[in-house]
Amino acid sequence: MTCHEIKELTVPYLELDLEPSRIRDVTVHLDGCAECRVEMEAVRQVLVRVKGVAVPDPGDRFWNEFPDKVRRGLARERPPISSGLRKGLTGWPMALAASVLLLVGAWSLRGLVTQGPAPAPSQPRAVAQVPQAAEPELPQLAEADWLEFLDEDPDMALVEMASGLDRQAVDRLFRDI
Amino acid sequence: MAESDYQLLDRYATGDGAAFEELVTRHQKTIYDLAYRMMENHADAADLAQRTFVQAFLYHQSFKRESGFRTWLYQIGMNLCRNAIRDQARRVHEDVSELELADSQDILAEVAGTEMKDRLGRAIRTLPTRQKEALVLRVYHDHAFSEIGTIMSCSEGAAKANYHHAVDRLRRALVSGEG
Repeated sequence: MTCHEIKELTVPYLELDLEPSRIRDVTVHLDGCAECRVEMEAVRQVLVRVKGVAVPDPGDRFWNEFPDKVRRGLARERPPISSGLRKGLTGWPMALAASVLLLVGAWSLRGLVTQGPAPAPSQPRAVAQVPQAAEPELPQLAEADWLEFLDEDPDMALVEMASGLDRQAVDRLFRDI
Repeated sequence: MAESDYQLLDRYATGDGAAFEELVTRHQKTIYDLAYRMMENHADAADLAQRTFVQAFLYHQSFKRESGFRTWLYQIGMNLCRNAIRDQARRVHEDVSELELADSQDILAEVAGTEMKDRLGRAIRTLPTRQKEALVLRVYHDHAFSEIGTIMSCSEGAAKANYHHAVDRLRRALVSGEG
């Protein structure tokens, strides 16, 4: 091996990051080359000194308080609950929440569902006209109708119900809520 | 038997505060050490170590577990240190020539232990960031080059090359007085 090749292998040799056969080759060369031995020793000293540079210990108080500092940092970085909740309400959770809301609203507006064109057999029967006069009593939807309604296709039932609701009735509902 | 980092992370994901505490205390010294060797002062090291853990817990769900949790912490920490060093370099231009002048003024003096330490510190400080990263990870944290490559987002060969170049620069700076 040439001295140039040995120089290239100095660090891997010191790190024992060479194949055994290569380590042997380098060792044999070093045995016969004083210049390379000096170079090798110089690099070894560098590594020893570099490794000897210690990190000052910041003390027990620092270590004891560190997890709390991380905790506070996390609390600052985490998004506020409202926007987090907003982000969480996508897809099926949003659909479920909307369905529940419609269900509650529709239940409160029993009887307010208008009777549209002759419904298909699977569709629910509307019961009453939407009152136009000021503050009429809300018409009642028979409980049996609700049960049939929900059993067939709850989601579609709620959609149909919502589409049949009069705007004034909806506004009244949510004003009351 | 102590729980693994993955097990603690799973417990943390369910809101277990004790798991959080254990994970932090288990790795805080290592990450602080890394940050200190990169930034060379306590204030920056403490700040970056804290931010490393905050990032790790904030985005723990994106941790693919292809490497160890500690390696992932190293990656985050090293990225933060790299960005901080880059920001510092933009703010403050370090005049290397002044350092070299100081060295040449003492070139005839006997090199005492303190002087050698100062020179070593300066030499490490002026290493290119990537070489410094490889040096710190190898010498102070005993990482295999494959791990260093993962942490530095480079190949194992590149990690080795950076490390070897760093050692070579330090050797020339300490032994022959070259920069």
